[in-house]
Amino acid sequence: MAATRTKPSAREIFTTLEYGPVPESHACALAWLDTQDRHLGHYVNGKWLKPEHRNSVPCQDPITGERLAICLQAQAEDVVAAVEAAGTAFENWSGLPGASRAQHLLRLAKMIQKHQRLLWTLESLVTGRAVREVRDGDVPLAQQLLQYHAVQAYTQEEVLAGWEPMGVIGLILSPTFSFLEMMWRICPALAVGCTVVVLVPPASPTPLLLAQLAGELGSFPGILNVISGPASLGPVLASQPGVQKVTFCGAIEGGLRLLIQESVWDETMRRLQERMARLRGGRGLDGAVDMGARGAAAHDLAQRYVREARSQGAQVFQAGAVPSDSPFFPPTLVSDLPPASPCTQAEVPWPVVVASPFRTAKEALAVANGTPRGASASVWSERLGQALELGYGLRVGTVWINAHGLRNAEVPTGGCKESGSSWSGGPDGLYEYLRPSGTPARLSYFSENLNYGTFGLAVPSTLPAGPEIGPSPATPYGLLIGGHFQAPGARSSRPIQDAQGNLHGYVAEGGAKDIRGAVEAAHQAAPGWVGQSPGARATLLWALATALERREAALTSRLERHGTELKDAKVEVELSARQLRAWGARAQAQGHVLQVAGLKGPVLRLREPLGVLAIVCPDEWPLLAFVSLLAAALAHGNTVVLVPSGACPIPALELCQDMAALLPAGLVNVVTGDRDHLTRCLALHQDVQALWYFGSAQGSQFVEWASAGNLKPVWVNRGCPWAWDQEAKGAGRELGLRAARTKALWLPMGD
Amino acid sequence: MSARNRGTELDQVGGATEEGVDLPSSLHPTGMHTSGFGCFPMEPEALNLSWISKMQVNQPAVLRRAQQIQARRTVKKEWQAAWLLKAVTFIDLTTLSGDDTSSNIQRLCYKAKYPIREDLLKTLNMHDKGLTTAAVCVYPARVCDAVRALKAAGCTIPVASVATGFPAGQTHLKTRLEEIRLAVEDGATEIDVVINRTLVLTGQWEALYDEIRQFRKACGEAHLKTILATGELGSLTNVYKASMIAMMAGSDFIKTSTGKETVNATFPVAIVMLRAIRDFFWKTGNKVGFKPAGGIRSAKDSLAWLSLVKEELGDEWLTPDLFRIGASTLLSDIERQIYHHVTGRYAAYHDLPMS
Repeated sequence: MAATRTKPSAREIFTTLEYGPVPESHACALAWLDTQDRHLGHYVNGKWLKPEHRNSVPCQDPITGERLAICLQAQAEDVVAAVEAAGTAFENWSGLPGASRAQHLLRLAKMIQKHQRLLWTLESLVTGRAVREVRDGDVPLAQQLLQYHAVQAYTQEEVLAGWEPMGVIGLILSPTFSFLEMMWRICPALAVGCTVVVLVPPASPTPLLLAQLAGELGSFPGILNVISGPASLGPVLASQPGVQKVTFCGAIEGGLRLLIQESVWDETMRRLQERMARLRGGRGLDGAVDMGARGAAAHDLAQRYVREARSQGAQVFQAGAVPSDSPFFPPTLVSDLPPASPCTQAEVPWPVVVASPFRTAKEALAVANGTPRGASASVWSERLGQALELGYGLRVGTVWINAHGLRNAEVPTGGCKESGSSWSGGPDGLYEYLRPSGTPARLSYFSENLNYGTFGLAVPSTLPAGPEIGPSPATPYGLLIGGHFQAPGARSSRPIQDAQGNLHGYVAEGGAKDIRGAVEAAHQAAPGWVGQSPGARATLLWALATALERREAALTSRLERHGTELKDAKVEVELSARQLRAWGARAQAQGHVLQVAGLKGPVLRLREPLGVLAIVCPDEWPLLAFVSLLAAALAHGNTVVLVPSGACPIPALELCQDMAALLPAGLVNVVTGDRDHLTRCLALHQDVQALWYFGSAQGSQFVEWASAGNLKPVWVNRGCPWAWDQEAKGAGRELGLRAARTKALWLPMGD
Repeated sequence: MSARNRGTELDQVGGATEEGVDLPSSLHPTGMHTSGFGCFPMEPEALNLSWISKMQVNQPAVLRRAQQIQARRTVKKEWQAAWLLKAVTFIDLTTLSGDDTSSNIQRLCYKAKYPIREDLLKTLNMHDKGLTTAAVCVYPARVCDAVRALKAAGCTIPVASVATGFPAGQTHLKTRLEEIRLAVEDGATEIDVVINRTLVLTGQWEALYDEIRQFRKACGEAHLKTILATGELGSLTNVYKASMIAMMAGSDFIKTSTGKETVNATFPVAIVMLRAIRDFFWKTGNKVGFKPAGGIRSAKDSLAWLSLVKEELGDEWLTPDLFRIGASTLLSDIERQIYHHVTGRYAAYHDLPMS
């Protein structure tokens, strides 16, 4: 870099026309650190918290290694103090009218505006990111987020009637994060009335500065609390009784994978290299660099990856020679990496781009969807039809057509698969911090004693249990898989007793093999069902409703035998039919178009099916709950594997006879058997794309634990029975929200 | 390919100066011109419509790139001063007004010869570089005045003349060609022609190619700078196609605008034209120059244009033979900035000589 040489004269530069350093003064960041005597603690309840006898870590300039400050590391008791403060603040904050919260958020936006230089220099100084990126991207977006969510708070009473704030939210940030990622999450939480405790990794001053700015507004000091500490405090924060939800926020953008059609491969690679060669790396606080540095860890990661790729036969293009002891890693283009090499499977680190060729758009889609990640993708094509087809087909949260990296507070941002299933921004982001009014707060249902290794592992054997005193016609028997009833793999059955303890009938004892078959069948049916128009889906659901009504007598008597009053049984059957029709009607209205500032063109907010959805139904309201869950899932285009009520599965099996006749094969698969065992099989199945569990607290805990295997979206009732006959539950908006995933499709336009 | 590659020769010159070798001023790439571009004009390529038929410009992406490049590249202090002085050597100092007379043309020519106050240059140790603007640019009827004035000033700055029914181009081809010939006869060594927008908007690419070929021929030894009038072409895709056609037909430069359209030199348009120049270079090995014109008034703007060319085409295009800025008032703002850099004070109006 020029800065390291003696300063050239204008006469010399006149000939070389080189770029010079454009240093951004970070004096204000240092001055701010000085106000804390270069000794940062935590910011809790509107005050700096600097407890004694704590470990501390240095906060260093990632490029020079200069020590900027000392940061205290929190201990469990500091976490407790922060959660308490947030809990106290929640009582006031959540009780405020939305308009007052809106006012407060706007004041915070103003506060950020007043101190924006401090914010961007501090962020760039400690993270090494290019100051331009922070100044022109992050800081304005942070203000926009506050403004957007202020409007949401203002209209909350009207638009979000029937929902209430969850309470204290725990937010855990990963070691490489940007303060903007924190803003994406705290803005909606604060807007709807939640308060937040943020656990930031050691030596992250920017969130502390933000908390201080919020705290200095005077009123409501405890709504945003920031503590800095090691990752090991995460579980401590999560297990605090006051914390209603924990959100984990991943790293900022890593490397990229690039798929290039073979016909334009050479041309594209040439242009890519040409452009990469002109990227300027350097100190983040330089106003004319494209890329800063991200510290030693990121550097090593990239270096290791590139070395590995080279050894596996890849072509590596690096622009510019960077000395090996430099903290800057050059932008690197890796190609010719054999598809089966370990590097191809691994996550690409920043700032590396891996390019591979494809032959057809179909192949590109298969390759792009064939990774466990699914945050965002961009499609570059001059043919709109092709670009849209790819945009719809990609299993990711955000797709940009002929653009990349655009973000806006109004557009929900989320992911699929291992990129997580939570949303920030837009209406979807708000619901993350809301629950339907009247639902109990999250209790501490977590049990230390649950043995994940053995939960539901073995099925108790069942033997003939006495004479069948069933009503005629005979109980339907078998598992509904792939469109017809079949015998269970285990070739055994389990007895179902009625309310008097008499044998009502036998149902098939499903097991792991049956689950496998059911999931396979559901996958086969998925493309066909997704391709159906909402209208066609509605028609089928309505037909099913009619069939259900035709069975009213049988269903009522089955329910009665299980101890339901005749009157209630009739209501349950009637409500079930209504649910099918209601969800059928709702299938028609999904998704909408957003217009966002700074973009010419629309952003489509699509509601896409989750895919193969497994549902373990509750024991309460055995027919109504089964039908409600099924109807919502089908209306949104999912294919399902259902485990009906354990105590009373027979009404559901009755309905299965109609489903076998009416619905496409494999669309709905119903497996009876030992609930814990089936739950285990479903939760541990990597190709089940989402799982809803309504059952015991233990089962809920197991499902949440096991689903971490593929980060499938899960929805559990934590052992709390639901009132399915109430509007808020059975046909409520939560069910609709859970049954589909949002995708934002950006379509910039212009010629 | 008839790749008489003007760039190569100049590259060598540039390389030598970097090592501090003093060159005879006639060879210097900084604005001392012996015959305009220092070598022969471009020879036309055969028309190849396949180079433009598939082309489709992605406008949103171009806009984004245009936005980025302005924010990402700045120069400060010594670098700014040096870049601004360099920008001076790219300026086609222009006056295209109905009330031009020999007296203001004369003033313009002297300003072209002495663009920056001598004492300021001295402080920067740049006084011996023979710093001048790249050319003066006038209407055909004023070419004689300009040639005379420059001769009197004792310098070899080329005179550029607009031609072919500037600015609308809506006159008969015959008169347009005659206009070129007369301007060349009067001593213009560079001709800034406007293209016939009608041909672009109706997609008559062969006809456009033929017209520009005829312009080329009429120019003789003079250099041909083709004004695309991008503000009137309708789309960026048309800008790309017109650029390509103009280069195939033998233009030495392609130029954004006349300065008389409602939209003039903008970054998105420039990016498209620069990419076309790069594509043409990759295909033929010939380097074609680029001239933004119209609306470039501030010193800061000129820096952005320099970095745009540096980013998109590289340093080899940063020579008066391949890059020009058409401007009338830009020079005085640059001089003010240099004044400020040298003295630390902002200049009063009377501190700097007018052009």
